[in-house]
Amino acid sequence: MSGKMRILTSVAVIAIVAAAAGVWIIRGPGPLDFAGGTKVALADYRAGKPTGVPAKLDKASLVERGEYLAKAADCMVCHTGPGEKEYSGGLGFKLPFGTLYSTNITPDKDTGIGNYSDQDFLNAVQHGKRRDGARLYPAMPYTSYTFMTDEDVLAVKAYLFSLPAVRAKAPENTLSFPFNQRWAMIFWSAVFNPDTRFAPDTSKSPEWNRGAYLVEALAHCGECHTPRNPGFALDNRKKFAGAITAGWRAFNISSDKPTGLGNWRDEDLISYLSLGHAPGHGAASGPMGEAVDHSLSQLAPEDIKSIVAYLRSVPPQPSPDLPATTAPVAPASHKDGVTADARGKMLFAGACASCHGWSGESPVSPMATLTGSWAVNDPAATNVAQIVISGTKRHTPDGALSMPAFGHAYTDDEIAAVANYVTARLGAKGSKLTAKDVAGLREQTAE
Amino acid sequence: MHMATTLTVNGEQKTFDAPPDMPLLWVLRDVLGMTGTKFGCGIAQCGACTVHVDGKAVRSCVLPVSAVENRAITTIEAVGNTPVGAKVQKAWLDLEVVQCGYCQSGQIMSAAALLAETSHPDDADIDAAMAGNICRCGTYVRIREAIKQAANGRQS
Repeated sequence: MSGKMRILTSVAVIAIVAAAAGVWIIRGPGPLDFAGGTKVALADYRAGKPTGVPAKLDKASLVERGEYLAKAADCMVCHTGPGEKEYSGGLGFKLPFGTLYSTNITPDKDTGIGNYSDQDFLNAVQHGKRRDGARLYPAMPYTSYTFMTDEDVLAVKAYLFSLPAVRAKAPENTLSFPFNQRWAMIFWSAVFNPDTRFAPDTSKSPEWNRGAYLVEALAHCGECHTPRNPGFALDNRKKFAGAITAGWRAFNISSDKPTGLGNWRDEDLISYLSLGHAPGHGAASGPMGEAVDHSLSQLAPEDIKSIVAYLRSVPPQPSPDLPATTAPVAPASHKDGVTADARGKMLFAGACASCHGWSGESPVSPMATLTGSWAVNDPAATNVAQIVISGTKRHTPDGALSMPAFGHAYTDDEIAAVANYVTARLGAKGSKLTAKDVAGLREQTAE
Repeated sequence: MHMATTLTVNGEQKTFDAPPDMPLLWVLRDVLGMTGTKFGCGIAQCGACTVHVDGKAVRSCVLPVSAVENRAITTIEAVGNTPVGAKVQKAWLDLEVVQCGYCQSGQIMSAAALLAETSHPDDADIDAAMAGNICRCGTYVRIREAIKQAANGRQS
């Protein structure tokens, strides 16, 4: 080998090693790496059955099993546009670089997935590859679904194919260059899709393994609750530390005591996941309200318990911007407590107090109690502003409860004022939202 | 799904069939025939449907009936049986507060709840308690006067 060749070879080797190191660094740990135990192939795991449906559905038909799994994976919420037929697509995800629309996954042959073979469907769900070979954007959480077993993915397909075909073409994406270059997702996927099926951890309990499968493969909690790295993939170094997704704050669900789930009692977690409300912790709204209504509330009680067991094991990650404790109940009289923002107070008196109370404890329903919720204790007031803008409609065993949307009635300035008043009065630290901040939040919500 | 529900309205037990998520206002007006409580906006933003639940003013149009079982409901039909309610109604008549009247049962219910909690409210208290009750005729000045008169027992 000549001297020149030797130098070139060395440069090439160094470049390859540097690239591999770069990939390794930016990719970071996988979602289950924190557990550290010995992983075995699913077929070799005898202690329990972490995948599939709960015992009561073992004998159910393929379609029924698929329905349970589709709900656990929460397919419907993203694959249904506002006011459209279920699973017919068209929900717009507003990203900083354009809008991405969800697709029709009803069995319509022209506009849906009616022509998908089993392998086509597996390719889409586990590998992020469309039937025509084009790449999916990771708004479709295939980097989570890739952990699903083939059997479970195909059960979901059987369920979707049992639904009526809806003819509906999603609007064209409006992504800007370079994000409109779908082919580039080949590289994204090569780096960030683990492309591996769920492997149980023999050092953990069967319950934990079931929880891990539900949380990581199906419910894809991390897609909202884990911050993203510069490559827009989940940064599992900060697993479940909380993040802003679609303009709403998904709070810390690590086991951190002050700002995560570490201080929640088991019964509170079970209640929050299955009803979207826990006494002293407020109610789920926005994307989490939808996740509860359409997915988590439909799960078997033993699956909810498994999720809780798994969540408890996720290492603590602090949210330094949140207070160490949530604020206690505010004074019952409007005169006591914080009255910093006169305009916010005026709005609160007219529009909020009759349901939420001046103290934050609702005279109407525990679901409307704001005291103790992270939303009012978040000094950024993100979710307070969002819920004022878009309102909420929640389905509970006792019936529907709703809050009207004020986004069209109030100006950005007014929404900022009332959010600042609410966080100051009912939370630990008042927010300092401006009209511009509120306008920014409006821009980000999916519709 | 309809279910047998029992409510305590104005001290009387009322049993009827209704879906658990039917708003209390619908039950009052359409099931029990008590039409003194009015429908305004349907989203808790005008106050016309105000009733008392355990003495507190609440908007009955957004309150699912399942949330108020075992709680004491008072409506405009019976608020005059309480000393405070009677004083409020008298002041309303003395000052001729009402113009078209549509919002007034809600106004009176909010005013009575305010006076039950704060016997001598100042303007800020009145603002805080009454801001959610809207009057299209603009009787706000007389409402404020009437609340003060009911509090002080003074005649104009």
